[in-house]
Amino acid sequence: MNRPTKILTVLLALVTSVALAACGSSDDETATTQTATTEAASTVETNAKEARSGDGKKKPPAPPTIVIRNGEPVGGVQELEYSAGDEVAFSVRSDVADEIHVHGYDVSKDVKAGGSVSFSFPAEIEGIFEIELEESGTQIAELRVNP
Amino acid sequence: MTWLPFAHALAARQDLPIPAWLFAWGASIVLIVSFFALSVGWREPRFEKDRWRPLGAGLSRALLGLPAQVLCGAIGVFLLGVAVYAGLRGTEAPDRNFALTFLFVTCWLGFPLFSVLLGDVFRPFNPWRAIGRLVGGSLTRLAGQPPARLAYPERLGRWPAAIGLVAVVWLEIVYGVSGGVSVGLSPHAAGVAALIYTAYTLTMMALFGTEKWCRNGEVFSVYFGMFSQLGSFAVEDGRLGRRRPLAAATSWATVPGSAAVVIASIATTSFDGASEGAFLSGLEWTFERFIDADLALTVALRLTDTIFIGLCVIGVALIYLIGVWGMSTVDGAPPLRKLWSGFAHTLIPIAFAYLVAHYFSLFVFQEQAQFTYLLSDPLGTGSTDLFGTASSGINFQLLSANAIWYVQVAALVIGHVVALTLAHDRATAYWGNYRQAARSQYWMLAVMVAFTCFGLYLLSVSNA
Repeated sequence: MNRPTKILTVLLALVTSVALAACGSSDDETATTQTATTEAASTVETNAKEARSGDGKKKPPAPPTIVIRNGEPVGGVQELEYSAGDEVAFSVRSDVADEIHVHGYDVSKDVKAGGSVSFSFPAEIEGIFEIELEESGTQIAELRVNP
Repeated sequence: MTWLPFAHALAARQDLPIPAWLFAWGASIVLIVSFFALSVGWREPRFEKDRWRPLGAGLSRALLGLPAQVLCGAIGVFLLGVAVYAGLRGTEAPDRNFALTFLFVTCWLGFPLFSVLLGDVFRPFNPWRAIGRLVGGSLTRLAGQPPARLAYPERLGRWPAAIGLVAVVWLEIVYGVSGGVSVGLSPHAAGVAALIYTAYTLTMMALFGTEKWCRNGEVFSVYFGMFSQLGSFAVEDGRLGRRRPLAAATSWATVPGSAAVVIASIATTSFDGASEGAFLSGLEWTFERFIDADLALTVALRLTDTIFIGLCVIGVALIYLIGVWGMSTVDGAPPLRKLWSGFAHTLIPIAFAYLVAHYFSLFVFQEQAQFTYLLSDPLGTGSTDLFGTASSGINFQLLSANAIWYVQVAALVIGHVVALTLAHDRATAYWGNYRQAARSQYWMLAVMVAFTCFGLYLLSVSNA
């Protein structure tokens, strides 16, 4: 091996390892982030999944309920995750009167103070969408529809 | 205090992060392409000699003649007027007001795209240039001589535009804060900002001359003009012509401050992408420290974001500096300063790829709003329906998540290849010896791989 070729080989190896390390570590980070998100995601998500796999039983498990106390979602912004084609179903129980708005799908329903309202629509748009209290502008949930 | 992620006021829908397998594929293709690029390098510069060839004279007259200039200028001024009026008088709902979508999506994202495809299309429509030329021309006619100008300090170069670019993005994504939550810029604030920018630009044009300021300090002229260098069409001596794509870019960065413009572009797009995912915990941590230090919510939030934008600029500049420094250690290298400005244009394709990767879906969806309800009801008050499209909505099913992912990854990979091409070409021009030219390019290769992998990484964690 002559000198320039040697240097080239060494540098290629270096670039590869750096790049692979960078990409590898970000892969890991992605993985940890996902795990973290999954763990952090409250029971709402699991409820949603149960609701989906609830066939065979006479009475499918109730869709998840997002509880609003003092105008804020209990347990922080809730995560709802579905695959395209599923039926998005959840309900909101609120102690303040407001309008619940699902962005993107542009579905909205009014809720009275102390009242509760339920949503059900097909998950036909892929992406991440905010669900918020329209009047106060508070985000209460994040709807995620995977392809 | 819970941290709420950036609520992009305009976007009712956000992209899903690219899946891990696509990330791996994207990164692998980037590496394979890069190694391949090292082995096929050509030995003589191919883009350095700008081969501009004029197109038909009739076409030039029709597109560039005085009637066209007046018409385009008038359209530009009219649309700026509509945007300001809608911002000041229209609804405060960001997504229903013409101003925000027009200024920050249609123009801010549309002009880079059309500049690459069609050349510097912003120039004829630039409302400030039109006003400047009209006033300057009238004064010249009245006084019988052109108005006196200050000499523009050439050392300043494009620095005013680079700083302005960061300021525009800061206004767009940092300034709009309400009660500790980032809510995006309000239409009213956008209208006021447009007026302030108009006053500032016209003053500078009066001081230094319209064309001089457009070349150096006018943020939008410089920024959109930068992307037009990648394309094929250009006007020279009042004549429309074609040239080899990418060729014009080789002479773009000869003005001081050019590297700062392209670095600012990459850094600000990175910040916008990272603030939704990669930086989230860092932003949260910093924000909480500021809250602990008894800062007001608004101040703390803006300060946090400002620090991270600053970090992005420093980070991007550092990566580029390392590459440039590395090249300067190769035998026969020109001085560091010359390398710094000499390779700045090779980052333009990366900047464009970042824009496409981060804003492609937003642009496609939001333009549906622009040409339907925002056009018919610009104030968003529900009182007008100029074209009968006021009740239309955005069809979010137009793009599947998969289509968006492929466009994002393809943009980054193509940007990477174009950047490598430009860098290799410049190296063959700077180093007479081919061996040394090739050796200098290991450094730029590392820089490009870093930017592209970082871009892919941002896509894979955004919103995660």
